[in-house]
Amino acid sequence: MKQKPFLYVLIALIALTLLSAMVSNSEIVYAKELIMILAALKFLAVAFYFMELKQSNRFWKVSLVSFLTIFISLFLII
Amino acid sequence: MSTIIQEHHSKNILYPPGGILMWIIIYLELITFGAVLIAMVLYSKDEPELFHQSRLQLNTSFGAINTLFLLVSGFFMALTVGALKINNIPKSKLYLKLTMFGGFLFLGLKTVEYIDKIDAGLTMGYNTFFSFYWMLTLFHVIHVLVGLVILASVLRTMIKKPEKLIIEDVEASATFWHMCDLIWLLLFPVIYLIF
Repeated sequence: MKQKPFLYVLIALIALTLLSAMVSNSEIVYAKELIMILAALKFLAVAFYFMELKQSNRFWKVSLVSFLTIFISLFLII
Repeated sequence: MSTIIQEHHSKNILYPPGGILMWIIIYLELITFGAVLIAMVLYSKDEPELFHQSRLQLNTSFGAINTLFLLVSGFFMALTVGALKINNIPKSKLYLKLTMFGGFLFLGLKTVEYIDKIDAGLTMGYNTFFSFYWMLTLFHVIHVLVGLVILASVLRTMIKKPEKLIIEDVEASATFWHMCDLIWLLLFPVIYLIF
């Protein structure tokens, strides 16, 4: 079993979470957009690596990415 | 041989990791939580100042630490399945216990947060923001509790009857647990960081 890829993903996820919290407390103009993009990256990392969606049929990858795109777009447009 | 079959299955549209039924549940859950989050944003347009002031009353550190608890727990869940695939039951057991420990830490911190909010009078009926806060986070907590019960039953089988352990069942349980991560990854930024 290869543990290292999972460990790298976990480190990236922790870094992105800390970055989100920092952006939230900053005065950056596009903070809302940046926070949502960081959340989307974390969401995809968990789904593709921890849930092993990366190895599944394309349908499941496309449908999950589509859901996320619709959600983030609606969130930012409203 | 079983690994070859599994790899062949994983590319089949009918065999996503954790099983097709679990993925139908995941999509229903994501759509439900997504719709409520979008409704929350719509309501915030009517009372932007109230949502902002209410959000500031939340403890962002609690939210961030709970995110870390769930992410680390998800990492150990992935390792549990990995160890089980190579038939390493002792390691799998250890990783599953660590996964559940992460879940308990999440619930512990959430309890502290809830007590804090109730003591401050920030209950469900306090205002629109807190109605959404309680509804979304409590619904998520229920999922974590259900996930822990499922994982406890997997652990029980691992300890008492390891020969009866079915990898597909463990994968389905792991997928449910990761779903709790996915939902939280949408809740955390919207509730704790954005308004």
